[in-house]
Formats: sequence, C-alpha cells, structure tokens
Amino acid sequence: MSNSFRYDVVVVGGGPAGLSAAMTCARHGLSVILLERGRFAGAKNLFGGVVYTESVLSLAPDLFSEKRLPFERPVTEEGWWLLSEDGVVKITHTEKGLYEKPPRAYTAFRARFDPWLAQKAEEAGVLVIPKVKVLDLICANGKVSGVLVDRPRDWESSELAEVRAPVTIISEGVNRLLTQKAGLIPRDFTPEEVALSVKEVIQLPKGEVEKRFGLSEDEGLAVELLGEATLGFPGSGFLYTNTTSVSLGVGLFLSDFAEKGLKPYELLENLKKHPVMARLLSGGETLEYGAHLIPEWGLEGLPRLCGEGVMVVGDAAGLVNPLFREGTNLAIYSGIMAGKAAVFAHEKGDFGHETLKLYEEAFRESYIYRDLKYFRRLKKFLRENRSLFADYPEIINRVLHLYLSAQGRAKEEVFQEIFGLFRKRRGLTGLLRDFVKTFRFFKGW
Amino acid sequence: MNILVSIKQVPDTTNIRINPETGTLVREGVPSIINPYDASALALASKLKRRYGAKITVITMGPPQAEAALKEAVEYGADRIILLSDRKFAGADTLATSYTLAETIKYLAGEAPFDLLLFGKQAIDGDTAQVGPGVARRLGVPLITYVVKVEKLDTETREIVVHRKTERGIEILKAPLPVLITCDREVGEPPFSPLSELIRAAKSKPEVFSAENPVPLERAKLGLKGSPTRVHRVFTPELKSPGERIFVSEAGVSTVVEKIITALKEKGVL
Repeated sequence: MSNSFRYDVVVVGGGPAGLSAAMTCARHGLSVILLERGRFAGAKNLFGGVVYTESVLSLAPDLFSEKRLPFERPVTEEGWWLLSEDGVVKITHTEKGLYEKPPRAYTAFRARFDPWLAQKAEEAGVLVIPKVKVLDLICANGKVSGVLVDRPRDWESSELAEVRAPVTIISEGVNRLLTQKAGLIPRDFTPEEVALSVKEVIQLPKGEVEKRFGLSEDEGLAVELLGEATLGFPGSGFLYTNTTSVSLGVGLFLSDFAEKGLKPYELLENLKKHPVMARLLSGGETLEYGAHLIPEWGLEGLPRLCGEGVMVVGDAAGLVNPLFREGTNLAIYSGIMAGKAAVFAHEKGDFGHETLKLYEEAFRESYIYRDLKYFRRLKKFLRENRSLFADYPEIINRVLHLYLSAQGRAKEEVFQEIFGLFRKRRGLTGLLRDFVKTFRFFKGW
Repeated sequence: MNILVSIKQVPDTTNIRINPETGTLVREGVPSIINPYDASALALASKLKRRYGAKITVITMGPPQAEAALKEAVEYGADRIILLSDRKFAGADTLATSYTLAETIKYLAGEAPFDLLLFGKQAIDGDTAQVGPGVARRLGVPLITYVVKVEKLDTETREIVVHRKTERGIEILKAPLPVLITCDREVGEPPFSPLSELIRAAKSKPEVFSAENPVPLERAKLGLKGSPTRVHRVFTPELKSPGERIFVSEAGVSTVVEKIITALKEKGVL
C-alpha cells in the first residue's frame, strides 16, 4: 500500500474523452488524477481536423470569452469532391446558416486543441500528469482499483508506483490494451475493423488559403475526397483549411492496405500529385506528417462500457462515425457521461457495475448509440459496394465533362454516350441494385 | 549544500524557421523548451542532490509562460523555483540579464549562501555564452566554463574537481566552493523522475519576482534600457572544419612525420 497514490478517480489518457471525464468529476469536487504518456496532453493525438462546437460548449460554456480560440477556421463550406483520374466534381454547400454565431464546426489541430482542453481541466482542479505510461490495471476479484505506472514512487524506491482510485476511467485511444485487461472486450480488433489514416499539414504562403479556396479570413472549407483519392477503395480523403495551411489526408481500412500491398504514404503522395490537388497546393511546405488508426468496429466491436470500478470512453470504445466525421465530439460526450456516473458512484459510495452502469444507460439513450445501431452495417455496405468508390466518381466526372463540352455535336449522340457509359460501367440492373442498396443502407435496414 | 541553477526557456530550434523576407525567427507555433544546456545543468544538480543531499533553487527570467520551464525543473528535483517576470525586463541583452540575475542571486544568497551556481554553457537561441560569466564576475566567484564532468565534490574541504572541454582537449580543474560552472551537454542525463516528483511539479507554482519586489533593481540597467547591444544582422556563420589531429602516442613518430610531409606537399608548400 505504501507504494500507492490515492485519488477519487484516475483517468488514463489525455485526449478529449479522458479530459472531459476528468473535468466533469473535478467540477463535482472529486480529486482526479489524469495520466498521459505523451510530453503533454495531445502530443500523441491526431485527427483529420474538424471539431463540432456544440460538444466543446458543453464542456466550456464560456468558450467564446477566450482571447484566442483553440481552433483554426470556422467551417462555412462543406461537402464532397469526387475525384476522377485528373478531374473533379465538387459538391459543396454553404448558406447563411453556416455563418451564424456560434459556428457549427471549426477546423483545428489536436496539438493545440488538446492542450487547451487540458488547461481547462487543470483549472477545474484535475491533476494532469504527462510523461507517465500506464502499464497495467490493478485488479482483484474482478474489481479494478487503480493502475500501475512506469515510474517509481519516489527517488528512494525502485518499485513502480501504483495510483489507486475506486473509479478508473480508461480513455486510452484506439489501442485498447487496458480495455481488454479490464475484461470489457474479449479480443483485439482485426484489420477489417480499423481505418488507417495519413495526414499532412501543408503550409501555404500568406493569403494563399483565402485566394486558392475562395475564402475570407473567417471562412473555412472542409471537404471529403472520394474516388481517385483512395484509388477507388472504400474510404475517403479529406481537405480542411486551417488559418494558413491545409490539412490533407486519406484513409482506408487497414485490411485494404495489407491485402493490396498499398503504402499509406504512397496513397497520400498520389493524392498530392492529382492535377487538381497539385495546383491547389503548389508552393506549399509540409509542416508535419502523421498517421493514426481510427476505430471503426462500430456496434459489433463495442466493448462493455463499464465493469467493477472501471469505465471506458472515446476511441477505446470505438465511438466514431466515419460518415459524419464524428469522433472528437462523441469522445467528449462519452467522457461527460462517464464522469457523471463516477460522481454518482462517489455520492452513493458504491463503485460496482450496478452503479456505474448509469453511464451505459445514458449512452444507450444518446444519439451516439442510436447512430452506431443505425449504421451497424456500414463496413459491410462499404465493402460490398466498392463501385461507389471505384466507378461512380469516375462516371460522374465523365458525364459532366460530356454534358458540358457538348457544343458542336448532336446532343442525341452525347446523351447516348452518357447512357452508354452507365450501361458499360454498371449496367441497368447494377444501377438499380446500387440505388436500392444505398437506399436501404441509409434507411438503416 | 545549496545549489542554484539558472535556466532559460527557448524556442525549440529544431522546429524553428526563418522568415525569408525579414530574416527574423518565426516564433509563432514553435514550442518552448528548457534550453538543452540548462537542462543538463539541472540534471547535474539533480544528480548531486541525490548523492550529497542539497537544496536546489532554480531561477529564470522571462514572460509568465516561462513558468512551464520552472515547473519542469521541479521534475529534476528543484526545491524552490523563482520567475523573474516584469515588463521592465523585456528586451534585455546579456548585460542587462547578467545584472538582473546577479542582483537576484545576491539577494537569495543573503538568506542562505550558494555553494554551487550552475548555468548552461549558452542558450540555443542566442548562442552568446555571456550570461554565466557575466554573473560570476558580478558575484565575484570563480568561473569554470564548458564543464563536461564533475569528477569530485568534497563537501568537507569544500573543493570541486571538474573536466572542462576546450578546443585543445580536456582540462581538469580544481576550484574552491562557491564556484560558478557553465555546463555542456555531457555533464548530466535527465533523470527518470519518480511519480511523486511529477505530481509535485504539476502542483508547483513559482515565486514571481518583479523589478522592485523583493529585489529593488536599478531601472536604467534593466531590459531594453539597460541593453546597449544592437542587432546589426542575423546570419548563419560558415562552419569551420576542425583540423585533423593525429597523436604521436597512438600513430608513432614516423607515420605522423609522413602525414605532415604529404599534407605540406599537397598544399604546395614543399
């Protein structure tokens, strides 16, 4: 026992989920320690780059009184760019609503957003301790009572320190080693269940982001890139505008990288060489390069969210909706819910599953769970309908090209060529099947 | 033993870029770190504390954000951390900085004199290597620069033996305490601090000293006002390659003579 530190709650991992959970507990007067293995909260974290304002406001209602917001640009234009081999069809949307205050979403960097959130947590009273790696859970009789870390207790001792608390909140991210040790999930994930995303931040000369993307200083563009961006594989690329740089990335299921022998950086290089991208990014300087796994195991890989004295939040639980680029917000919501359960448990003085399941119940009533259920067939749908990525972006580019360059020809011929194109690439039954399948998927059937 | 370590928070120059238009450093978005040579000084202090027992006081001069560097110093085992922060300190060159630090150290030594004063050999953002010597001169204590190793510290006779790196080789020097030492990288490795120290660091708050309180400083010697240095131009100096060194003891006389003759012939001297 002499080797241990004691708190009301110990949180493992300083991402949005862990910080939200810790903050919620501290604001209710609990003593909270958060252990983060990176040099600072956010040091090891990476995301594409869009954060939804509502989730941040639910943690920091005074967000807009900040001198400097922890974001890059508000998102005022959104949509998809369908890439063919050398062309693009842009489907983007903007309207007055996207300019209303507060903006719905912002582009951001984790290396700035997470430290900001960590500071908020510290202000709430959380003891944020970076540079500490949690090695294991302390379990007895199926009950978790803290964690073992990679640091000794003090200068005199060589034994590893224990941090004990009646509630342990695991926000370890996609590599859910502790979640497994806690017995909340029976197995590790498979390559089919995670996406590997690579990203570069490309700095453009001053004023060029505005010029090249048709934006003013407080406008931002966030688009998903389909088709050639992933070489026709299920997945997507993205392009988000930051203050003076662009976040460009692309992600596929890990299994597709493995099966096709694709290298992540080659995929991104290929995207950067696309004529449309090359023009938009010319003269840009790469500031950073990163890669990260995204948990897309969905409902079938969902762990039990709580056990005896332990809860799991954020990426570790797989709370991600790739279709709507939700992840950071879901992490925050889950953190808040778990935090509330921890507070409830301390009020009750009971830390068993029966008490902590308040979190699981709240989760099941939330839209996060409803969405996981609604899109439970996402992976299967994407895998079985590769033509959505391999054929349609190409076809749509071709069709628009034919239609828009039809002068000097009999239009009957042009249209015949267009219909011929559909027939050749998908066939009439194929078209119908694709339509029905897509419709069924979005109906949640 | 009473040890003082003076540190500086600097932009991480591995990430730094120069604005091609103005020739100045782009500081925005560049993370701040403890100057690596100062971190070595802290590591040495930490090592000595664990071996001989010591109280470590760490001071830094800088904006309020420099607090982060001091909190990190606690992870090395610092017992007392002091931030000299005042708008009047802004724009200080090495002269004004040496004055400010020396006066503060004199004040602190009034409470308990220091046996050892540790500085980094230079800061990676300015590379002047003047502040340590400037402080030693003002305090009237012996100075040993570019120290790579502490060979012996005798708390009884109050003497220290150190290795000092020069262009000609290593000098081994003995000095009485108190002494001011400027440290090179090799002097100490950052310790793998225990959890108790990380927690203490997270909870720590530095004492903040202003230009008046608790040490009343002469306004004219502070900050920009007290800094006669004017930056004329910033440029990257050409790297001088060190000459080839052959040791007679290792290579033998005849090989060395042959090499010299060949080299002189190549140069067209012979």
